Amino acid sequence: MKIVVTYQWAPDPAEASVGSDGKVDFSRAKSAVSDYDATAIQVGRALADATGAALIGVSVGGPAAGTPVATKAALSRGLDEVLVVADPTLEGAGTLTTAKVIAAVVKSLGDVALVVTGDSSIDTGARMTAPVLGGLLGWPVVTDAKSVELAGAAITVSRVLPEGVQTLSVAGPAVIASSADASKPKAPGMKDVMAAAKKPAAVKAPADFGIALAPEGAVKSTGKVSGSSRKGVRIDTSDPAAAAAELVSALRTTGVLS
Amino acid sequence: MTYILVAGNPAVTELVAAAAKLGSPVTAVVVGSQAVVDAVNAPGVDAITWLGDPGAAGAEAYASQVAQLVAAAPGVVFGGRHPGERVLLGAAAAALDAPVITSASEIATDGGSTVVTHGVYGGIAVETLAFSGPVAFLLEGGAPLAGGGSAAVQQVAGAPAGVTVTGLEPPATKAANIAGAARVVGVGRGLKSADDLPLVQGLADAFQAELACSRPVAEGLEWLPKDRYVGISGTQIAPDVYLMVGISGQIQHMGGCKGAKVIVAVNSDKDAPVASEADYVLTGDLYALVPALTAALQGAS
Repeated sequence: MKIVVTYQWAPDPAEASVGSDGKVDFSRAKSAVSDYDATAIQVGRALADATGAALIGVSVGGPAAGTPVATKAALSRGLDEVLVVADPTLEGAGTLTTAKVIAAVVKSLGDVALVVTGDSSIDTGARMTAPVLGGLLGWPVVTDAKSVELAGAAITVSRVLPEGVQTLSVAGPAVIASSADASKPKAPGMKDVMAAAKKPAAVKAPADFGIALAPEGAVKSTGKVSGSSRKGVRIDTSDPAAAAAELVSALRTTGVLS
Repeated sequence: MTYILVAGNPAVTELVAAAAKLGSPVTAVVVGSQAVVDAVNAPGVDAITWLGDPGAAGAEAYASQVAQLVAAAPGVVFGGRHPGERVLLGAAAAALDAPVITSASEIATDGGSTVVTHGVYGGIAVETLAFSGPVAFLLEGGAPLAGGGSAAVQQVAGAPAGVTVTGLEPPATKAANIAGAARVVGVGRGLKSADDLPLVQGLADAFQAELACSRPVAEGLEWLPKDRYVGISGTQIAPDVYLMVGISGQIQHMGGCKGAKVIVAVNSDKDAPVASEADYVLTGDLYALVPALTAALQGAS
């Protein structure tokens, strides 16, 4: 039996810069396995330990995702092995394309009981990869899982919704997106890093899975986000009480306070 | 054909508004009670396909059925952000081979293609794309619909599969509703300790505002529950006024409060990103400014 955890080797958009033409430059942004994905790997590790399943990390991305730096970083989080589909055309791939490649990998692995994903991607925050992946595989999908248990093909999930703590019974195989607080991943220690160097890491191309990639849409234009339309009024704070009074008066003028 | 997907909650006003602009008939595919169907039967909705009340099955259990329905007559699909809505939308996108767009600011049709302007990488830049085939849009649902339409309701026998709800324990505390609040006070890492939260809660009370926070406060520090964090991946708010205390204003956070009419920033760093994203900027020690603001707002309506 296998458990798959998806992860992303992604730069943090907070470190990217935007050119005057709206092209995003990630060259100075540092890449990492995001906290969301580290959380998902930890959830997968606990399930694999409890069931004796093999824990396989699957990642899709540009060439950087297939470098030893990236695969070792993922393996040091506790995966048994990783399979990365890396290709220049997958750099910044959309949700549909990413999900298609992951679905093809999962099908090729066989005997997968469960796919665990992170809560959301670090770069787009779209939270749609798990739903589309489940749709492509024809498997049930439950998101926002705070805890996951696996017994044979029966998966029990509990999650925190605005209406309360909900428990669900899911017929596996299934795709489960873990919530951001589903586990507390610790930073890998020296032992984990040493062990990671010895674990198997396979780097493949989309063609290895018979996938032909097409652009998701035709780009007509890119642009910078138009400058802030906020007033940017600075209130002198040397006297806190006077500053507070000035703000209240300004809020009355704008109609926020009557 | 244009679709909106409804999973037990009629808060889909914005989806209907966006769908109606595309010029094709709008079909609402509803998983939910009779009351939800009645609410969704509102102006702008031309037809309703009702899969019935899910009962103990989760809305997620209808994903395959919704996907098949939509794929039988392909078109653009709209869904909201709630967990069940996202799963239905994802299944529809998979069946339609449709790209998923989650931060569209403009959607229009142009000679058979759908033209979309959306924020990329958490809103740090924008891009305009043209799609010749179906597209799946994730949007903020907006206010609940309130009926008053005359759409024909076609009932289809539901075929839930794979997901069953086995229990629901109501929350100990009432869920926060920062998304719908008219005033919000947000707190960030500028606060030194969780013990100081009452200081900011006092300000929120004086201002008759809901208390919100940045992501690290909810997810790393866990000082406040997750449903109170504002951000692109958290809750998106659109209050009359958003008063930010000790929040530097990273893109991820500001993307969640773009809709605020007035933004006030209280921050110790005069060069923090929030200084250029706020209407009123108070640079200084929050431990001096918050009590002053609380006193000034006490009694102000």
